[in-house]
Amino acid sequence: MPSVPAIVQPLAELLREDPDRVNLDKVVELVSYDSTLVAQCLRMANSPLFGRRDTETVRGAVLALGIKRVEAIVLGCCLNRIVPPDKWALDALTFWRHCLGCALVSSKMARLIGYPDPEKAYLAGLLHDVGILVNTVTCTEEYRRTIEQARRGRIRLHESEQQSLGFTHCRSGAILAEQWKFSLDVRAVIEFHHDVVKSVTARPLVALVHLSDLLCRLRELGYGYYEAIGVDLAGDEAWSMLLESCPALAKMDLARLTLDIDGAMDEIVSVVDAVFRPEAIAAK
Amino acid sequence: MNRPIETVETAAKTAPTETQDLRDPSYLKIRDVVYQISGIYHPEEKLYLLAARCARRMTAVKAATPSEYLDHLTVRGSREAELRLLLNEITIGETYMFRSPQQLEALRSVILPQILQDKAALGFKRLHVWSAGCSTGEEPYTLAMFLLELKETLLCGWTFDILATDLNDNSLVAAKAGIYGEYALRSTSDLLRRKYFKTYDQNRLQAGEELKSLIRFDRVNLTDDSKMTFLKGMDLIFCCNVLIYFDLASKRKVMQHFYANLLPGGYLFLGHAESLYQVDDRFHLMHFPGAIGYWKPPVGYVAGVKR
Repeated sequence: MPSVPAIVQPLAELLREDPDRVNLDKVVELVSYDSTLVAQCLRMANSPLFGRRDTETVRGAVLALGIKRVEAIVLGCCLNRIVPPDKWALDALTFWRHCLGCALVSSKMARLIGYPDPEKAYLAGLLHDVGILVNTVTCTEEYRRTIEQARRGRIRLHESEQQSLGFTHCRSGAILAEQWKFSLDVRAVIEFHHDVVKSVTARPLVALVHLSDLLCRLRELGYGYYEAIGVDLAGDEAWSMLLESCPALAKMDLARLTLDIDGAMDEIVSVVDAVFRPEAIAAK
Repeated sequence: MNRPIETVETAAKTAPTETQDLRDPSYLKIRDVVYQISGIYHPEEKLYLLAARCARRMTAVKAATPSEYLDHLTVRGSREAELRLLLNEITIGETYMFRSPQQLEALRSVILPQILQDKAALGFKRLHVWSAGCSTGEEPYTLAMFLLELKETLLCGWTFDILATDLNDNSLVAAKAGIYGEYALRSTSDLLRRKYFKTYDQNRLQAGEELKSLIRFDRVNLTDDSKMTFLKGMDLIFCCNVLIYFDLASKRKVMQHFYANLLPGGYLFLGHAESLYQVDDRFHLMHFPGAIGYWKPPVGYVAGVKR
């Protein structure tokens, strides 16, 4: 199992404070130690998602992004590093497009239906598939075959994993999430986003990310292959789970959200490409 | 994801945009008026498309700013006529054959297998498809080719037919003739052109007998109760960019008919940016990769149970 990067622990401690009382200088200092992190924060802050500012300093970027978004970038960046460039089973850009897409859709949906913590939804959306990275590094060749089998059979990835590995990215992701001390809510999302009824903690969040994940996979922000699936989202068990705590979900215009995702697609692709591609190229 | 009307999009993207300040909040208001009335939705990232369409109408009515044009759409006496003209601009160039490959892929790999399995179990090996608002025929001919291409595999042993209806007599005449130029055929492969079309003149092809024999053309007003009541037993209904011209009450009436016209387990497909939000809540919105459809669940379907 990939070891916990040095930055994760001190950052988690800083962020344990109340959001208004977080020591910004310390966060800026922590980010500044790592040139890749600096570059990613700047690129994200200057991307269309944040209105194309002309931020040049780490401090400016951290302020523009907000502390929670910085946390998400740090974790995303650390996770990206656990896979050596030549070991990727799913293409790295495809993977991060799916994760960022799911993060953005989760936070957007959270806002639409009055889920109280859209930034947590963003983080959970970004990290929900970490198990795919674990599977990639721990059993590279076998995992490449697993993905190929899913692609050829046009079946869901976790079904293919269960068939060929005997476990899914939910299980392996949960182990990493525990070691890296992710919050209990995010851990629940990682472990149960394909089996929502089994989750005990953070049920609305698990349901929310499950629906966002499905939506992304159905709007070309999936794993880069055709999944032959038809989904009645409003008839999904996650929908009823989420409805219990967010009654506004019943009034959400799902077709419109779908078109919004399509509209945001070019942006998501360009952000992921800008944030991750230079690093991928530099690493080669 | 559907990427319709590429040429128009590209044209709009490359057109000088200094005169169209997309940050003008009036565009969002125009977007909402269009959505409310027609169900056609432009996400913020596609506002430039709407702005390009508005620009043409703004020139025509001599509106200097988006906000002035918004008045034309909302408070002027001619607002209904103007809205119709804008909708015409928005849907212009929408039809060519094989415009929604992802919809066809969903039909082939997800939807039809399920429908065929359910119907075969009941002993019906017949499929009825309806193109409601077929305009000049691109859609029904596409569907005819799509089904014929499956007759040796998925549809082996099945019979199928297509009903193509429109209100406009001129469109129907053109649809029956089935003569198409390069624009309509831009996404039709050489193989399919050779197989299903014959040469009409130097620049145009004409649909062959195999296609034509599969399609029955008819004039139908979708709000005409007496006619709509008789169109039963449909498996798939396609109705693209037609409902946009109806007011809410008529839309609801048409949807009621469509629901009754469809067999349980059947699907209704709308134009790619159209939504039935607050128009009808009996249909289930179904997601497929890059496509959505409205589903009439079979009797006894319980939400939350995976099929």
